[in-house]
Amino acid sequence: MTGATLDLADIQGDILRAYGNRYGRTSYVFIGVGDGDRGRRWLRDRVDRVTTAVPWHRGRPESTFNVALTSAGLAALGVPEAKIKSFADEFVQGMAARADDIGDLDGSAPTHWDSGLGTGEAHILVTINAQSSSILEDALSELRGGLEAAGRLSVVAEVHAELLRGAREHFGFADGFSQPAIEGVSDEKAPGEGVPLANGWRALAAGEFILGYEDEESRADPKRRLPSAPDDPLGRSGTYMVWRKLYQDVALFRRTVREAAHLYPDGDERRLLAKIVGRWPNGAPLVTEPGAEPKGFNPKASGANDFRYGDDLEGLRCPLGAHVRRTNPRDALGFEGKLTFRHRLIRRGMPYGPPLDHRSHRDDGRDRGLVFVCFNASISRQFESVQTQWLNTGNSFHLGEDSDFIIGGARGKMTIQGDPPFFLSALGSFITTRGGEYLFVPGITALAAIADGVAG
Amino acid sequence: MPLTSNTVGGMYALTVFTPIMGDRIDDLRAFLGRLPAQSSPLQRLGMVHFARWVVVPDFVSDPRQPSPEHLPSPYLLFSATFDGSLDAFLDELCDKLASEAETIWGCCEGAPVPARGVALQAYLKHNQIQTGLFFAAYPDASVTTVKRALGTREKAIAFAARVQGMELLALREAFIQEFAP
Amino acid sequence: MLRVKAGRTASLAASGTSVRNVDGEAVALTVFSTVKRWGLLELPLFFLFIRRGKNSLRTLKQLSFIHAARWSLVRRLPANGAQPEVRLRFPHLYFESNFNGGWEEYIDAFSYVLTLGMWGFWGSSYGFPNALPSGPFKQYIRDNEFDASHYYAAYPEATTTVVLSALEIAPKVEALWDQAHSMSAEQFHAAWQALLTDGQSCL
Repeated sequence: MTGATLDLADIQGDILRAYGNRYGRTSYVFIGVGDGDRGRRWLRDRVDRVTTAVPWHRGRPESTFNVALTSAGLAALGVPEAKIKSFADEFVQGMAARADDIGDLDGSAPTHWDSGLGTGEAHILVTINAQSSSILEDALSELRGGLEAAGRLSVVAEVHAELLRGAREHFGFADGFSQPAIEGVSDEKAPGEGVPLANGWRALAAGEFILGYEDEESRADPKRRLPSAPDDPLGRSGTYMVWRKLYQDVALFRRTVREAAHLYPDGDERRLLAKIVGRWPNGAPLVTEPGAEPKGFNPKASGANDFRYGDDLEGLRCPLGAHVRRTNPRDALGFEGKLTFRHRLIRRGMPYGPPLDHRSHRDDGRDRGLVFVCFNASISRQFESVQTQWLNTGNSFHLGEDSDFIIGGARGKMTIQGDPPFFLSALGSFITTRGGEYLFVPGITALAAIADGVAG
Repeated sequence: MPLTSNTVGGMYALTVFTPIMGDRIDDLRAFLGRLPAQSSPLQRLGMVHFARWVVVPDFVSDPRQPSPEHLPSPYLLFSATFDGSLDAFLDELCDKLASEAETIWGCCEGAPVPARGVALQAYLKHNQIQTGLFFAAYPDASVTTVKRALGTREKAIAFAARVQGMELLALREAFIQEFAP
Repeated sequence: MLRVKAGRTASLAASGTSVRNVDGEAVALTVFSTVKRWGLLELPLFFLFIRRGKNSLRTLKQLSFIHAARWSLVRRLPANGAQPEVRLRFPHLYFESNFNGGWEEYIDAFSYVLTLGMWGFWGSSYGFPNALPSGPFKQYIRDNEFDASHYYAAYPEATTTVVLSALEIAPKVEALWDQAHSMSAEQFHAAWQALLTDGQSCL
């Protein structure tokens, strides 16, 4: 038996379980707090409205409301410095300060980011998920009205995201499924989404994603100590959130794939796409469907993601550097998954911007891409490790300095293993970081404490 | 001595531990700190794979040990992993890095004055810590061999990507040209 | 083909350690620990056991992020100038490593994968908390670690796996070059494809 039962009423929603694709519209509104008192009052009035992790037994709400804070936001809301120091270093520094470490360089450097992001102006992030545009507009109106009424609170940045047809992202791939199986929440998803064991799978300890609970390390500790977390009452039931606006150059990506397909001896563009990502565009894993894209793939079906790489160690079915193999190597690094199981991420991003006409290979100048959102108990051990060790370079997979072909900033090449192998070179970076923040998603009690000014 | 292994394959693991004169530690720290990271003087020693200078102000006494133990003074650790014999390395070190070596070990207690040449070599050997266990991932590859192999690999990768789809006759010619020694 | 190289700084390679310990992709770790009396017997025997055993360092090799590492037992400090010889009350274990990747990932790998080996090396050191859970072990290493003042790597951008790959593929490329002159275009093409296929894990 592992940890305590999760206090779902205290944990914010969309972390342990996704709200789901019924919420096709999401707005991310970054608020700057010009006056601590007003900020706290505004927060106080809204704590009771924050959507929690309690399951919806009586129908879904029209929209959901969640709140996250940057370290600058904690300070703006009057949390004492000593308490802020109890948060993780990388969160306190902020994402922009760590740009060099995580590879946000050149065109992706913070100096080029959208206004209001990475500057310390963003204090509170309000995330609204809505079932329709009109519901979203209503919720946004209310939010804006409330900010104006409060005074000294302003919107410093906002991004409006929208599910694309077929729940695809802009490069055309089904996205968002295959999330970590969490003990006490989604144990049934362990096959394929948990930790690969010699025989079968197991779910991950909740503490890998929510603070105040045992994580995987606690299991190995005779004293069963809990992972480090911000001082009470701020840490418990909270988690860290990584928010990134990633511009996608769809035209460049399509041109690259089309050109490469001319020389690719083993198939067509679609096959090349599958090789790059590790899944067919409809989501079917290459490792289980190496031959052709199956007619249909239901990612929600039980066992849909139950696969390993142990029988494909040479990467002949799914390339060693394919995107999903890098972001979740499962058993691919050997040693019974011991080098991978502590770097899992809960991902909740949404595409933003209008789709590029599916026949076009020419850029139309519109801003489109992915709002990448993930939740983890440790930004440095989880998000940053994946980014720096598995995406921005290929050494862990014996791929030298080759970065992830899709999001790794065009470093090196991509090898599609085969007889003979085929090499892909990026004509440029397909992804540009347009902004980002590290945030903390407090539990409800913690939010109330901050709002009441009793966090110190 | 059977209980030491300073060598594995063609590589030697040298560890030298010398006391720093009390009034020289700041100078030494400053000097080492100023050595350029991108173009280290150690580049002049073609046989060195890895090397480091570490200032050890004192031993760390663990709270669980019966009594603390202190070094008599701050110490300077110098470690190098190189190809070939110890003597050949020391010759090179005291020749190609004569000036730096003199400044660095000139801050150390008991070093010859000036800290140069054969006398410095003897001083370093006198303060050598014998290695108990030495692991090297590629013990038989010299620095030259490694660098050449890295260059060839990089060329091969660039070439492979460039010639995809190239017609047969041109391919052989391109290869012969590209990899001519 | 455009090979776009993103700019990189030293800190990218080594999450969680001083920039002084980093040269390109190579990271230095330097540790001294105080050893219990019985370590004077255990450690040399353990070293011998490892040296003799054919497979002992196999896992270390498989992890393939260590270029070179060494362990040494320090029992005495020789006399130097005005300083007399010192016979240490407690032997000290010196450990150094030249590795690639993040500091945290490195120690994690030791904790999770080389758990028993860690006991062999540090079990006789005061304060060693066991390799698992990894948190206290990382803290132990941090407490006993010394930052380099200057660290040098001869081929700093090459990781251990890249070096090993290069050492494997380079002779094959050179051998093919020697033979290329006497091959027909078709023969060469076949030989080139074979080199790529057999050597793809090295490229």
